[in-house]
This record gives sequence, structure tokens and C-alpha cells, in this order.
Amino acid sequence: MGGRKTRPYNNRVKGTDMSIEIVSVSKNFGQFAALDNVSLTVPSGELVALLGPSGSGKTTLLRIIAGLETPDGGKILFNGEEATDRHVRERQVGFVFQHYALFRHMTVFDNVAFGLTVKPRKERPGKAGIRDKVHELLRLIQLENLADRYPSQLSGGQRQRVALARALAVEPQVLLLDEPFGALDAKVRVELRRWLRRLHDEIHVTSVFVTHDQEEALEVADRIVVMNGGRIEQEGTPGEVYDRPATPFVFNFLGNVNLFHGRVHNGLARLGGMELASPEHAATTDSPAVGYVRSHDIEVERLPSDSSAVAAEVRHVHTVGPLVRVELLLSESGETVEAELSRDVADRLRLKTGETVFARPRKLKVFAGDYQI
Amino acid sequence: MHVTGALKIKKGQKGGGGLAEPALVRWLLIAVALAFLGLFLVVPLAAVFTQALDKGVDAYFAALREPDALSAIKLTLLTAAISVPLNLIFGVVAAWAISKFDFPGKSFLITLIDLPFSVSPVISGLIYVLLFGLQGWAGPWLSAHDIKILFAVPGIVLATIFVTFPFVARELIPLMEAQGKDEEEAAMVLGASGLQTFFRVTFPNIRWGVLYGVILCNARAMGEFGAVSVVSGHVRGYTNTIPLHVEILYNEYNYAAAFAVASLLALLALVTLVVKTVAEWKIQEETM
Repeated sequence: MGGRKTRPYNNRVKGTDMSIEIVSVSKNFGQFAALDNVSLTVPSGELVALLGPSGSGKTTLLRIIAGLETPDGGKILFNGEEATDRHVRERQVGFVFQHYALFRHMTVFDNVAFGLTVKPRKERPGKAGIRDKVHELLRLIQLENLADRYPSQLSGGQRQRVALARALAVEPQVLLLDEPFGALDAKVRVELRRWLRRLHDEIHVTSVFVTHDQEEALEVADRIVVMNGGRIEQEGTPGEVYDRPATPFVFNFLGNVNLFHGRVHNGLARLGGMELASPEHAATTDSPAVGYVRSHDIEVERLPSDSSAVAAEVRHVHTVGPLVRVELLLSESGETVEAELSRDVADRLRLKTGETVFARPRKLKVFAGDYQI
Repeated sequence: MHVTGALKIKKGQKGGGGLAEPALVRWLLIAVALAFLGLFLVVPLAAVFTQALDKGVDAYFAALREPDALSAIKLTLLTAAISVPLNLIFGVVAAWAISKFDFPGKSFLITLIDLPFSVSPVISGLIYVLLFGLQGWAGPWLSAHDIKILFAVPGIVLATIFVTFPFVARELIPLMEAQGKDEEEAAMVLGASGLQTFFRVTFPNIRWGVLYGVILCNARAMGEFGAVSVVSGHVRGYTNTIPLHVEILYNEYNYAAAFAVASLLALLALVTLVVKTVAEWKIQEETM
């Protein structure tokens, strides 16, 4: 998909110059605080993912940026200009809905042309102009031969591409996508998100997309904003967010994670039977603590290589495609952890259910205090 | 259709007949349904037309061409011509408001729209007598200004509007709620104005529902008896609608003429049925 080079986007210069600033935005639905004093800057030309579980406020935030929802407090700035009270139809945003929201009684062509045909007479391109533009966009989404079809005759992936073309037809300053791949099956999802990434590399329009799929966010986005309970937990590049999670929530939400419970005292953590240095907690005295380790950061050894390795019993060994998941019961603490090994490592170890091995976290992050997730 | 489908499954594949009842039960159920339908719908309908043509085709058309009958037909058409468009506008506006916006008092509004369904039509008529009658609230003022509402055309129109009020709205609310507001939002984001959104996105999606509602509303507007009877005063040639005229003819033992006029309403019912079937079929297509 999207291999051909086309230039459907004529206002490239304009499109690359549009930042969004969200300043202390709050929104309540009755008693429920959907957004609680959220501030965020979306740099011009970037593809930003709002990532979080359902109810975290990510869709509400997207709809507020679009103007489909009015914030109870705070401001939205487009390129430094106040846009909070600007009507949705004057914001020049492109919006792609989770369930496509294609006009069901219009053909693919008419759907894509809609934004152009409702323009005031002065700004509206002529019939030929509209036709050229629509065909250019249909070529971009590779559905040129389906121009006369109705939405009900298309597959989910095709519908979503039409929705995208329809949004791009009006040359929006900002592209907003609400769970754009949420309703698609796994394979189409992956294809379409890579295609979106390539499209974005081509047209560079400032884009925000909402997703609850961490893999999708990590693969596609320039920046990830992790949301939870109406607040922003962390924002940063995919690498930053994945490798240096700021909160236990982020750690837990991005990737598989194991918890080691214990205590931390003067920079020394005792967690699930192991003892390790925790310099960032040098000033903490005797506090409960939780160590977070990603499944693929747990090494399984026949012999302990240092003091951080703890004895564990192999409970289950599952082979999942290229990976082998090993469920381990820590002998001292009785906690269960999951290690993810590559196929060849697992083959070398030849683990059997019931035998005792040693688990050693390669990378562990300690959060002191009573964290609840 | 269903029967042949089920039979095919039974013959074609062994495991597929789980839902198919034994043939005897199926035929029995169908026979009961058809007998019931025939007894209560087809036989009366046939009776209306046989009675109407009892004294020949000439007598049939004479009964329709008689001045009082013509006046009743005209009044009925006038009443429908006023009340149906008004209820169409109201119905679309109310359905739009209820299905696309959240506002306090929404469920109260839905209850209010249903009111004419839950009130006996005779009571609906009496309300207007209480309001506009000589002993009513507005009666003395109206008679002082020489405005006639009760026992005149305005009263008949008002009563009909009240009784036919819920039809369009009731038809559209579930349809528009099922369709959601995504398409309208998409249109607005693309820069469409409110009117553009309505005429280019919302209306094409509900046009069959609108037709269905209008047809039902019209059938009721033309056929309403109770409420109109109370406010009409039964002035022959002036305030009689078709149903009232039928009643008068019947009470005068003029059966052939009564059934001839009644056959007009029966024909209306048949047309309504056909349009309704087509509309339902189209709506089903569009909500998918």
C-alpha cells in the first residue's frame, strides 16, 4: 500500500506549520471528570498518539481539539492563536471516526467530495477541480476503481481509508483520528497503521490519534502521551516512554510486566527474595516498594550469576510463535513471574516443568510507596 | 419464504434443522395465523366493497358525488393538508432534537409526544370544547371577537393535529437514534452548515422513515372519528368529515351510500399498507 508517490496535499507549507497547545483543559460529564487540568503541546508536523485505557479521557481530549466537545475550563491554541470558541466547522481539522461515519447514502466519490462541495461558492472549486482532487485522493488510498461503490459494499479497511481521504480532501491544518484502526481485524490493522505512518511521512500534517493499543502507539507515533483517569501520566518519544516509564501505570500499560513486592531502605531494595542496589531511593528509609520488570528483561539461568538472581520453580512453558513464555514461582516470596525468552535461548536451556532455576532481572525499576494500579 | 428455507435446510443438511419445528406444527401455526388474518382483516374489507357496490356502480358513484359527500371529502382533504405538514415539521424537529442532543427534560418531552396515544380521542376533543366552548376558558373572548373555532373547521383541524401529533416523531426517534450522530459530526467537521448537514446528510438517511410517518399520520388524520366528532357539531355539508358522514348515512339506514363513502377510507388503508411495506423495507436497508 502507498508505494506510489503522489502529491495530493498542495498546502504542504501551511500544513507543516501548525502546532496545537492545550492549556489546563478540564471536562466533566455530570459527576465524572473526563479530563482534569490537562496541558499538552503537539509540535507542528508530528504524529502524536494519545494512549490509555477506556475512560482515560483520550477521546474527549481529541474531540475538544476538534471542537466537537466544549471544555469546561482551559484553552485550546492553534499556532498560538486562541481557538477554544472557534466553531468546529471553522477549525479546519480533519477528523477520522472510529466507526468511519461515512455518509451511507453517498458513493465513495461523493463522500470524499463532500467537504469540497459544501464550501461557500467563492471558495468552492469547480466541478472538474473537485473531480481531479477526489481522484487524486482515491489514487492515494488506492481505491480509485471503487469510486462508485457505496460504503456498505466496502471492507472495514477500505472504509477507513475512504474516511481518511474524505478528511484530507479539505486540506486540514490538523488531522485527528479516533481509534482509527480499532474496528479492524488484526492483520488489516497492522497494514493500515504502517500505511498511515508512511502517509504522514509524506504529507507531514500535524496529527493526533487516539488508541488503547500500546503496540500501535509504539510503532506509529513520533510522540506518545499516556493518559489515565483524565490526566496525562507521561509524554515522550516511544523509546522514552517504553524504556523509562515515569509511573507504575505507564510501566504496566506498556508491555508485559512483573511485579516484585518488598521494601526499600537507604538505597537498598529487598524484593521477592533478591537484594539489589536502588540508588534513586538512597534517601528513602524503610518504605514499601514494588519492583517492575518487563517479561523480556528476566533472565532464566541454571546457576545464579550474582546476588540478584533468585531461585524459582518452572510452572509452565508456553511457546508462542517466536517466543517462549515461562511461568516461574519464586521460591522465597511465592510470587509468580513470567519470563519471555527467545526460541534459541529456550532451546539451549531445555526447561522442564517442576525443575528449579534462577531468575535474574536484567533491568528493574523500583517505585517506593503504596502504589495501586 | 421462511417455510421453504427451513424445508431446504432439513433436506439438504442433517444438522441444520435444529430450529425447524415438525411440519405439522408449522402448518398448523401458519393456518391459525392466516385464518385469524382472514377473519379480522380480509372479510371486513371485502364486506365494505360488496356492500358499497350492492346497488350497482351507478349508485356507488352517485353516493360519492352527492354534495354532502363531496363537502365531507373536501373537508377531510383540507384537514389532512393542514395537519400532516405541521406534524411533519414538528415531528422532524422533535426527533432531531431528541436523538442528536442531550438536554434536561428530554424524557419528559418524549412522554409528552406520546400523550395523544394514551388519551382517548373523545377526551382530546373534549379538551377543545373545554378550551374554546362558550362555557370554556377562551369561549367568551372568542365569541366577543366573533371567532368560531368549535363546531367549525378550525376546531376540526386542531383536534386532528392533536390526535396525529406523535406519528412522525415516534417513527423517526428510534431510527435517528439507531443511526447516531457520527455522520452529522463528520459533516460539520468537513465544514457543512446546519442546513447543509440536514438536507445532505440527515434527511437522505431518514427519508423513508419520514414517508412512513407521514403516511401513518395522513391515514389517521383522514380517518379520525372520536375527537373530530366531539368538536364538529355534525353540520351537514359544513363540518362533516368522511368518517362523520359515513356515520350519518349509516344511522339513516342508507347502507349502500355509507359503505360507498367508507370504501374511500378502505382504499386509503390499502395504499397506506403498500407504502408502509415499501418504506419499512427501505428503512431496514438503511439502518444496516
